[in-house]
Amino acid sequence: MSQAATTAGAAPAASVATSEQYNYAIIKRFAIAAVLWGVFGMAAGVWIASQLAFPFLNFDIAQITFGRFRPVHTTAVIFGFGGNALFATSYYVVQRTCQTRLWSDSMASFTFYGWNLALVLGVITYMMGITQGREYAEFNWQIDIIILVVWVAYFMIYLMTLLRRNQPHIYVANWFFMAFILATALLHIFNNIQVPVGLFHPHSYSIFSGVQDAMTQWWYGHNAVGFFLTAAFLGMMYYFVPKQAGRPIYSYKLSIIHFWALVFLYMWVGAHHLHWTALPDWVSTLAATFSILLLLPSWGGMINGIMTLSGAWDKLRTDPIMLFLITALAFYGMSTFEGPMMSLKSVNALSHYTDWTVGHVHSGALGWVAMISFGSLYHLIPRLWNVNLYSLKLVYVHFFLATIGIVLYITAMWVAGIGQGLMLRAFDQYGNLAYTFTESVVFLHKPYVVRAIGGGFFLAGMLIMAFNIAMTVRSGIKAEAREAQAASAEARTA
Amino acid sequence: MSTQDNRDKDPNQVETTGHVWDGNLQEYNNPLPRWWLWGFYATIVFALVYWLIYPAWPIGDSFTKGFNTITFEQGGEERTMHWNTRALLAKDMQTGTYAVRQREMLEQVAAQDYETILQDAESMSFVNAYAQGSFGTWCAACHQVGGAGVVGQYPNLRNDHWKWGGTVEQIEETLHQGRLGYMPGYRDTLSSDQLNQVAAYVLSLNDYSVDQDDADAGARIFTGTDGGCFQCHGMDAQGLTSQGAPNLTNDLWGLVDVRGAESDSERQRLVANFIRDGIQREMPAFGDRLSDAEIKMLTAYVHSLGGGQ
Repeated sequence: MSQAATTAGAAPAASVATSEQYNYAIIKRFAIAAVLWGVFGMAAGVWIASQLAFPFLNFDIAQITFGRFRPVHTTAVIFGFGGNALFATSYYVVQRTCQTRLWSDSMASFTFYGWNLALVLGVITYMMGITQGREYAEFNWQIDIIILVVWVAYFMIYLMTLLRRNQPHIYVANWFFMAFILATALLHIFNNIQVPVGLFHPHSYSIFSGVQDAMTQWWYGHNAVGFFLTAAFLGMMYYFVPKQAGRPIYSYKLSIIHFWALVFLYMWVGAHHLHWTALPDWVSTLAATFSILLLLPSWGGMINGIMTLSGAWDKLRTDPIMLFLITALAFYGMSTFEGPMMSLKSVNALSHYTDWTVGHVHSGALGWVAMISFGSLYHLIPRLWNVNLYSLKLVYVHFFLATIGIVLYITAMWVAGIGQGLMLRAFDQYGNLAYTFTESVVFLHKPYVVRAIGGGFFLAGMLIMAFNIAMTVRSGIKAEAREAQAASAEARTA
Repeated sequence: MSTQDNRDKDPNQVETTGHVWDGNLQEYNNPLPRWWLWGFYATIVFALVYWLIYPAWPIGDSFTKGFNTITFEQGGEERTMHWNTRALLAKDMQTGTYAVRQREMLEQVAAQDYETILQDAESMSFVNAYAQGSFGTWCAACHQVGGAGVVGQYPNLRNDHWKWGGTVEQIEETLHQGRLGYMPGYRDTLSSDQLNQVAAYVLSLNDYSVDQDDADAGARIFTGTDGGCFQCHGMDAQGLTSQGAPNLTNDLWGLVDVRGAESDSERQRLVANFIRDGIQREMPAFGDRLSDAEIKMLTAYVHSLGGGQ
């Protein structure tokens, strides 16, 4: 297997110099943390998916029941895997496209320890049953403050690095990263305005109540998807796809238009999670229509990514990293089509409160977020340690395991969600509901088993990646040691 | 320019913006894909039309109502207002095909007495369909979806064994006010030998092979003041529905897995242990949660499940 693909576009000879020019140490830490959180978070996911299929698997241990472990899973994969991957890639991209070193080594180091400390505390507190009960923001208020401080540091580092750039223009990937950092700060603060019960008390009460609280929470929840899981990973895409393909971005104009449309429109759509509730009807309408308006701006990123490869499609035959990146864009396109459809009130009446939503989230999370991160990390990590990937074959294996896993997962959840949705609205000849809720739960068992198997495939791929990365890093460290030895020997003879 | 032109064009012939980052990152100056642009315009038109039809934009304390209206009945008067989910629900419950049909059937069944319902094929068919849903919602968590219960925990409603009586009146009472089942434990009253003897006696009533001397001794405890079992279960051990005390002679066992026991000694031990520990069970009252019509239908349904009395 040719190793050329992994090194295409890089200049390994120059990288001793670049590792001094740029702060690579911090990127290495975040990249490794991303892989570790990925293994843990996806294992947690497979575990709770198995519990849903076979409830006895919670073994009557409160700490590992679905209710407590679900936020452990979501936090570990979104903020642990996704978050660390974003820190790693954004610090890499901003340095390389601005041709300048990160603004502050110590602040960058602080973001690493602060972020991961918050996540570890989160996992521990969730298992103890301490939660705010706000989806994707379950951290109690003390941890919220740690996250806030870390995020302000992140913002400062990013902004100051951009200001110190040695390039006249700011590359498109940085717009997306900057939007992600700003929006996430905004979302995190407003969603967590709480009155603590006491200084040393883990609990607090939201300042909002009723439907306003629900709206705040879903304004946060959906924009976490929009800015954390979409805009930020588009930033990743805008660097790693053209780099790996060795070709220019398809359209500068499209990138501008879809960037502004995306960041403007996303902010309006969160309420589509609350159709057919106490939410005022006009809010529902705006959320639904803005979701439809979001379809083409979302696709702008997909078009720009996929068309970048136009004329170099042959790379897909030889480069498994490119396979990851392109498949990620395909899933991105699919789930950003599915999302607006589901946000229409009539479709939502069927899909809401069913596993269709869960399937949709995972077609985005596994198909888009994880696949683009895998591709980017496979590109990034060998360059950080200035070695070739340990095995390209294993990247292929990972790719196919992951893809099979996603397809099993999504189709199982379509069957589960649409099936349950139809059962819950079916009437008999007398106008009675045809099925009880319990019967719909019985129906879910088989799709749940398939979902757990799909998750197992995906996790298996992640474990192979962790092995591949570990072996790559090990050879990198050995090479460094050899170089250092040679250098000191040279120094002695001189 | 058509999309065809775009596709035929070699992207290498389009100029880049002239900026270069990180060695080789560049951007082509390709125009927006036409299909993308028209697609975006189409979604804008969709949104505009949607806003005209439905409630959409807030203005001060109010909002744009949209042209779509719903007419429904409120307080005996016909009312027309802009499209909204509450009016939609009200209208659907008033005139929706399924809601109307169900209401007719509910009224029909509510007006009938149990004897009529049980003999009227249409009413019973409706009751079965409706109550299956109610049963799934309210009862199945304990009695299971089919009503077969769980041995050792929740009574089986399918086996013609009625602790509290199987007439429609008794079943309705059970549903309406709930039941508290109680049998005291004999841990401090009887020795383990005596517990074994009572167990042997009870099993002998159901033709299980036991030591005859034990069974005879057990009979004396059961019918005498040592055990006093007869006070609830009766001298003939046929139970007493007013106490919820089950018949012990029909080989139908809800709380001890007599039939599942692997050996005679195991069976006797299970029964002895049960007598030693006693039991306390509660069936919650549904009188304050379900309407009379719903309780009526559940009663007829449960009655039909186990061959009511």
